[in-house]
Amino acid sequence: MTVGRFSGRLSWRPNIAGLVTMAVCGLVWETAIQIGILHYQYLPAPSAIVLGAGELAASGELVAATLHTLESVFLGWAIAVAAGVSFGLLLGSSPLLRRYSMATIEVLRPMPAIAFVPVALLLFGFSIQTELMVIILPSLWPVLINTMGGLMGVHARLGDVGRTFRLSRAAILYKVFVPAATPAIMVGVRISLTLAVVLAVLAEMVGNPEGLGYAVVSQQQALRPDLMFVYVAVIGLLGLALNALLVGVVSASFPAASAELKGPRS
Amino acid sequence: MKRGELGAFLRQAAAEVPPARGLIPLLALLTVWQLLAPGPSAYFPAPFEWWSAAVLLWDSGQLLPAFAATVTTFVEGLAVAVAIGVGLGVAIGTSRPVERALGPLLEFMRAIPAPVTVPIATLLLGYDVTMKLTVVALSAIWPILLNTSSAAARVEPLLFDVARTFRLSTADWIRQIVVPSIVPFILLGIRVAIPLAIVVTLLVEMLTSLPGIGALMIQAQRNFQSAQVYALLVVVGLFGFVVNDLFAIIEAIVLRRWPARGAFRSS
Amino acid sequence: MAGGETTGQQQRDFVFSCRSVSLKLPYQGGTRWILADISFDIHRGELFTIVGPSGTGKTTLIRVLGGLTPCTSGSVRINGQEIAGPPEGVIIVFQDYSHALLQWRTVFRNVALGIEGRVAASELRSQVLAALRLVGLEKNADDYPWQLSGGMQQRVQIARALAVRPAVLLMDEPFAALDAMTKASLQDELLRVKQETGCSIVFITHDIEEAVYLGDRIAVINGSPGRIERTFDITLPKPRNQIITRQLTEFLKFRYAVHQAIAGMIR
Repeated sequence: MTVGRFSGRLSWRPNIAGLVTMAVCGLVWETAIQIGILHYQYLPAPSAIVLGAGELAASGELVAATLHTLESVFLGWAIAVAAGVSFGLLLGSSPLLRRYSMATIEVLRPMPAIAFVPVALLLFGFSIQTELMVIILPSLWPVLINTMGGLMGVHARLGDVGRTFRLSRAAILYKVFVPAATPAIMVGVRISLTLAVVLAVLAEMVGNPEGLGYAVVSQQQALRPDLMFVYVAVIGLLGLALNALLVGVVSASFPAASAELKGPRS
Repeated sequence: MKRGELGAFLRQAAAEVPPARGLIPLLALLTVWQLLAPGPSAYFPAPFEWWSAAVLLWDSGQLLPAFAATVTTFVEGLAVAVAIGVGLGVAIGTSRPVERALGPLLEFMRAIPAPVTVPIATLLLGYDVTMKLTVVALSAIWPILLNTSSAAARVEPLLFDVARTFRLSTADWIRQIVVPSIVPFILLGIRVAIPLAIVVTLLVEMLTSLPGIGALMIQAQRNFQSAQVYALLVVVGLFGFVVNDLFAIIEAIVLRRWPARGAFRSS
Repeated sequence: MAGGETTGQQQRDFVFSCRSVSLKLPYQGGTRWILADISFDIHRGELFTIVGPSGTGKTTLIRVLGGLTPCTSGSVRINGQEIAGPPEGVIIVFQDYSHALLQWRTVFRNVALGIEGRVAASELRSQVLAALRLVGLEKNADDYPWQLSGGMQQRVQIARALAVRPAVLLMDEPFAALDAMTKASLQDELLRVKQETGCSIVFITHDIEEAVYLGDRIAVINGSPGRIERTFDITLPKPRNQIITRQLTEFLKFRYAVHQAIAGMIR
C-alpha cells in the first residue's frame, strides 16, 4: 500500500497524500538549506545529492562499486540458497537428522553476521572471499528454515494421496512434497536475498574495501556527504530492484503459484 | 500466573527445546578442529587456545568493561527504540490519513539497511557515545515502528464498532483495545530489531573504535591475535544466543493468553 | 451373523473382504480400540455404503481398507490376497478435496498422477481424457483446481482415481463438504460412473439418506470402538432418481431401519 493501491490491473489509485508528503518534505529540505535556516554542517541539499550522482556516474565509480557489490551478493546468495535448500530438504524429510542437528542450528543461527568480519579478514584479508564468508552463513538460515518448515508443513492428505496411488518414496518427494513446499521455500529465498544485500554492504564497510559499502564509509571519512548519500540511495534502490526482479522471475517460472495469488476465475 | 500454571508452562516449554544430541555436529567439529590443529596458528588456532586467549583478556581487565559497554549500548538503544517505536507506531497506525501520508516516507526509510545508517550518523553527530546510542536506536526503531503501525491500522474493525457502541473515549479505545490487540506484533517487531541492534552496536565499535567488544575484535584482528578473534567470536555468539532465547521466553510468557494468529483479521 | 459375510470358499470370489478387523491406536499415553471385529465382503460392481455417526472410526476404517494403516488383528483381502500396504487396484477418494488435489498442477496433470510413468505417453493422454469425460470435465483439463468450484474439484479427484481403472474405490465422506444441490448431482454422477465402469465402491457417510439412496448394500457402524451393527440389502429399484426414489415407501422403511440401528434399538 506504499505508493498506491492496486485495484485490478489497469486502475491504480495513487497514494496522493503519501506522494505529496514526500514531495513536501523534499521541498522543505531543499529550501531550508538554500535559505540558510538549516545548515547542519553535513546535511546536503537534495539538489547537491543529485549533482553528486551525476558526478559519480560520469567518473564510472558508481557503476564499478555497484557491480562489485552485485557480484558478491549474487555469488554469496546463490551458494546460500543451494546449501540452504539442500540441507532444508534433508532435514525436512528426516526426523532423525533433525534430532541430531536442530540444537546446533539453534545455537549457530543467532550469531551476528558482523562477528564474522574479523575472522574473515584474518583468513582472507582484503578480498571478495571475506565478503562471501560474511554473506553466506547468515543468508543460509532463512532458506534452510523455510525449506525445512515448508516440507514439514505439507498437508498430511497429500502424503496419503501419494501412498494411495502407490508412488515410490522418491516420486512422492519430488512430485508432491517439494512442489507443495515451494511457496515456503520462495519466501526463504526472498528473505535471503534482502539479507545478502545488507550483509554485502556490511562486509564492505568493515571488511573488504571495495563496492558500495566501502564507498559510503570512504565518502563519509572524506567529508563528502553529498556523494555519501548518493551511495546510500543506490544501496536502497538496489535492494528494492533485486527483490522486484526476483518476484518477477518467480512469477514467470511458477505460473500456478503466482496465479493463485491473483485468485480464482469464477 | 498461578503456581500450577507456571509449572505446566515450564514443562511444556522444556518439551519444545530441541534435543541435546543435536549439538553433536557442533561438538564433533570443535573436537576434530582441536585434534587437527598444528599448534599456535595464525589462521586456525585450536579451540583450547581460544579459551586461553579469553582468560587472558579477562585477567588483563579488558574483556569485562568492553562487554559491559556493548551490552549497555544494546539495551539502552533497544529500550529507546521500543519506547519511541511503539508510541509513534500507535499514533500513526490509528490515524488513517496520517498512515497514508507517512507511508511512502517510512517505506523509503526502511529500504535503507541498518548498517548504512552508521556512517550517516557518524557524519551528522560526531564520534561519541551519544551517537552510538542514537544510531543503535535509529536502526532498531524501524521494524518496531512499522510492525506496530501496520498492526494498529489492522485491528479488527468490528472492535471499533464495539467501542462506539459502548461510547469509549479515544484514550480508552487505544489503551484497552488497540494496544492489547497489537502486542504480538510489537513483540514480532522487537524480535526482528534485536539482531539489528546487536549488529549495529558492534559495527559502530568496529568503525569508530569506541569501547566495546567490536573494538576489541578489530584490534585483535589488526594485531593478528587469531585466538583472541575466535574467542571474541564465541563471546558474541553466546551473547546473541542468550539474548534471543531470553526474548523468546519473554515472548512466550506474554503471549500465553493470546489466541493463535487466526483471531486477527487476515489482510 | 450380521449378514455381511459369507463362507471361506465364497470369500475368494469377492473383490474385497475383511475379516475380524480390529484396530487400536495410541491415545494419551495408552491405547484405545477404534475398530472392533469388522467383517464384510464386497461383490464385484457393488456399491457398499457404510453409515454411522461421527467418532465411530469410519475414516480409520477406510484407511485400513486402503492399506494406509495396518490393522491390529484380522485381515483385509483383495481378490483373495491379503493386503500389506496400499494394494493395487484400490484408490481412496478423500473428503477434503482441496488438500487432496495437487493445487499447482492442472486438472489434466492431476488426473495423470496415478498413471504417469506407468503407461506409454500416447496411452496416458487418452486415459486421462477418458476419465475426465466420465465426470464431465474434459473441457477443464487445462484449468487449475483452485479455479474450480468444490463440486468440480471433487469430480477431478474421482476422475484421478478412475484413471487407474481401479477394482475398488474407497470414498471417505466425499460429498460431506458440498452443498445439497451439488451433492445430489454428484450422487447421480457416481451411480452413472459405477454403471459405466463396473468398479466396486465402498462409500462412507454420516448421511443416512445418502447411504440408502446410493447403496446396493448398507452396513451400519456404531459405538466406540466401532462395530458393524447390521447390514441391509437395499432392494430399491434402479435407476435411482432423486425425487421418485426418495418418496418410495421402501425408501422410508430402510431409512427408519437404519436410524433404529444407529440408535441401537434393533439388535
